[in-house]
Amino acid sequence: MLFHTWTFALFFAVVYPVYRLTKGTRFELWWLLAASYVFYGSWNPLYLLIIIYGTLADYLIVVGMEKVGRKKWWLAGSVVSNIGLLAFFKYAHFIRNNLNALLAYAGIPYGLPSPDGAAAYTWPLTDGINWLLGQAGIAPYPHAESFLLPVGISFFTFQSMSYIIDCYRGQVERERSLLRYAVYVSLFTQLVAGPIERASNLLMQLRRDRPIAREDITDGLSLFLVGLFKKIALADYLSLYVDKVYGAPAEHHGPALALATFAFAWQIYFDFSGYTDMARGIARMMGLRLMLNFNNPYLADSLGDFWRRWHISLSTWFRDYVYIPLGGNRKGEFNTYRNMVLTMVISGIWHGAAWTFLIWGALHAAGRLATRALEQSPFYRDRVPRIVKQCGVFAFVCFAWIFFRAASLGDAWLIITRIFTSGWADPLFPMLALGMVLAVWIYEFFYESKARWIVEWTPVRVALAVLMGVYIAVFAAASSQPFIYFQF
Amino acid sequence: MTQPSTTRGVEHHGVGIDLRFGSNAVRLAAAQWLVAGAIFAAFMLLAPTLWEKTEPFSPGPDYRIPYSLSSDYWLYSRWAGAAASSDKMPVIGDSVVWGQYVAADQTLSHYLNRETGGEQFANLGLDGTHPAALAGLVEYYGGDIAGRRVLLHCNLLWTASKRHDLQEHKEFRFNHPALVPQFVPEIPCYTENLSRRLGIVIERRLTFAAWADHLRVAYLDQKDLAAWTMQHPYDNPLEAMRPNLLQTDSPPQHDGAPWTERGIQRQSFAWVELDGSLQWRCFRRIVEILRERGNEVFVLVGPFNEHMLDDANRPVYAERKRAAEAWLRENGIPCLAPEALPSRLYADASHPLAEGYALLAKRLLEDKSFGDWAAPRPSGKH
Repeated sequence: MLFHTWTFALFFAVVYPVYRLTKGTRFELWWLLAASYVFYGSWNPLYLLIIIYGTLADYLIVVGMEKVGRKKWWLAGSVVSNIGLLAFFKYAHFIRNNLNALLAYAGIPYGLPSPDGAAAYTWPLTDGINWLLGQAGIAPYPHAESFLLPVGISFFTFQSMSYIIDCYRGQVERERSLLRYAVYVSLFTQLVAGPIERASNLLMQLRRDRPIAREDITDGLSLFLVGLFKKIALADYLSLYVDKVYGAPAEHHGPALALATFAFAWQIYFDFSGYTDMARGIARMMGLRLMLNFNNPYLADSLGDFWRRWHISLSTWFRDYVYIPLGGNRKGEFNTYRNMVLTMVISGIWHGAAWTFLIWGALHAAGRLATRALEQSPFYRDRVPRIVKQCGVFAFVCFAWIFFRAASLGDAWLIITRIFTSGWADPLFPMLALGMVLAVWIYEFFYESKARWIVEWTPVRVALAVLMGVYIAVFAAASSQPFIYFQF
Repeated sequence: MTQPSTTRGVEHHGVGIDLRFGSNAVRLAAAQWLVAGAIFAAFMLLAPTLWEKTEPFSPGPDYRIPYSLSSDYWLYSRWAGAAASSDKMPVIGDSVVWGQYVAADQTLSHYLNRETGGEQFANLGLDGTHPAALAGLVEYYGGDIAGRRVLLHCNLLWTASKRHDLQEHKEFRFNHPALVPQFVPEIPCYTENLSRRLGIVIERRLTFAAWADHLRVAYLDQKDLAAWTMQHPYDNPLEAMRPNLLQTDSPPQHDGAPWTERGIQRQSFAWVELDGSLQWRCFRRIVEILRERGNEVFVLVGPFNEHMLDDANRPVYAERKRAAEAWLRENGIPCLAPEALPSRLYADASHPLAEGYALLAKRLLEDKSFGDWAAPRPSGKH
């Protein structure tokens, strides 16, 4: 159930009025949980077993921490449980394939079996669910032939882990209500692609009974409209070109590959930040404030700045739960760099079980290593114009995106070499797409400049809202693309 | 009007959690939303009307919706409105009425007009509109012909098999999915996802959505804007959307050859019983809709190319034809189920060639019930 589909509109049209009616009553959380499980179960009801397991396990672990003591052991248990879930569902193929390759390289005639075989164990469950669905006249789900990667597993496991770690550190009080905790983990607004919330924010809001103000509705609508426009009008548009070129890199010349990389940089930004905007908008209409996740990342003037602007909820998660526990920048230059590299590489592999993601993370780590000293130098800080820094950072980020988007390392290398060596051919990049991207970029420049008053001027904002609405209504495609970050 | 600042409402909960409104969102206050909503609603209401005034549309005597615009329901609605306002009697049906193998001046409506010496009949046939789709077309885009006399064609070919009748459970891509019932009655071979179905249900009630589709179909090669620019990366889409409507085009097959010369063999169809037929149920729904709107309906059943049927299959078809005719008569609907035309006048199972249409028009006009139905009314009702 994607935010930009009619199914979600129908879902929300049912959920929201009932939520308003039950708000402040003991039914509020039950309703939110039911809605969230319907939302998540709409992908596959089997996924619910995973989220219910994760919720119960982490809730009980924190109870154990408080009642039994030996907090470190409980924490370790939680990490094993959550990382185990991720490892099993997300990385099993990757680990198995690489181990088998190593065994083959070493001449050992043995291969680990595919984890897909385990999918057959879910068939009786699927049969049971299908029987129930059949009673309601709903079409059955097919048996899983391979192991399913539950949508958004990386997001809700990280959100759950942040609660455990904060409880362990004594930064957050244990949640006594299992129901409230279950809503915190599974709230449909940010369940499948973040922002990765913290208990200190979302759980606290679920504890308070703050009435929904008119501003919540108008702000929520504003966020939703912008998110919808980013997704439908921009991300899905750019994906047409990116998919065409990256789908057959050997058939395209340097200009097309370079422009497709440029387009992908914007596609993934519009796709992911569009989802986040919609998630935040929906939550806001429900009186909940989710954290800012993107802050004009392509205006960053250093790689450090980029990571403070891009997927903020994930970068701060890694900062608080990986980088700082590793020692952060407190234990000398070497350890600081080591911690940065480790954090970035882990962040890379978090995105997906493939070498391309690992290389992407490593490239950012290398970039930060190479530029950290430069960024702190007076010359760079004071003499290099900001626009030059911004262009440099954007170019580097685009280069790294090649590994993120390419189907394989071989493809990534092919794309890089062809960009520089394959000569000229008309890239056939739509001028309208280029114009729209540049318009957004210029808008963002204005937004962060002294001329911000122009884009905040009431007639401009009203005109932009109308234009976005009209574009979506008249020109948007009838079909909808899934969000890129759902796969993570 | 209040002017909310995008930085207002900065709150920090816990460590490093930024709850700012948004980094670049277009933030509107309630009054501003009202203004934006009003402008948007005005645009939605006015744009189709203004477009209609600027887009040249002059349907001639034998006008039919161009083949390449078969999925342009806004244009169909416009043509229905134009036909109704010029007191024409719409002839409604699938490609048999539209004239799949013939030119615009060789169709049934053309020969009816020629025989009656006027321009009474309008070709409101649309290619590929099986009854399930035709019901949707009439219901959502044919409102302007309310109260008119309507000649409705009944093509029993759509009950010739479970597949034609859309009753196979295997997915089958049929024409005009946006016109068929999305939920009830259930169409087993229609496997569109829930979101798209909901979208169709909502959009076909919005003139604006039909107009937006018109822009895509008529000016952007049946693509959305993004896909069109992929094909025309350096072209200006506004230039492409200059109101300049295609007035006519040719059907894809118009060689005028009879079915026997086109390599088509005699066949045996697994005809579906009318009582259990989805298409027949939809056809009855068309009749209901038209009658509810005050239309006087005359139904032309067939004539199917019975020469193409095996000897054993012909009686089965004859039985279906009788059943259809019986239902129409029981319900007081004047109809004609003529004998098959001569074999050489068919291009395939159901489409006549030009001479076939001419003969069919003659047979219709010779029929007393049709003559009574089509005769000029003193009250001026058409």
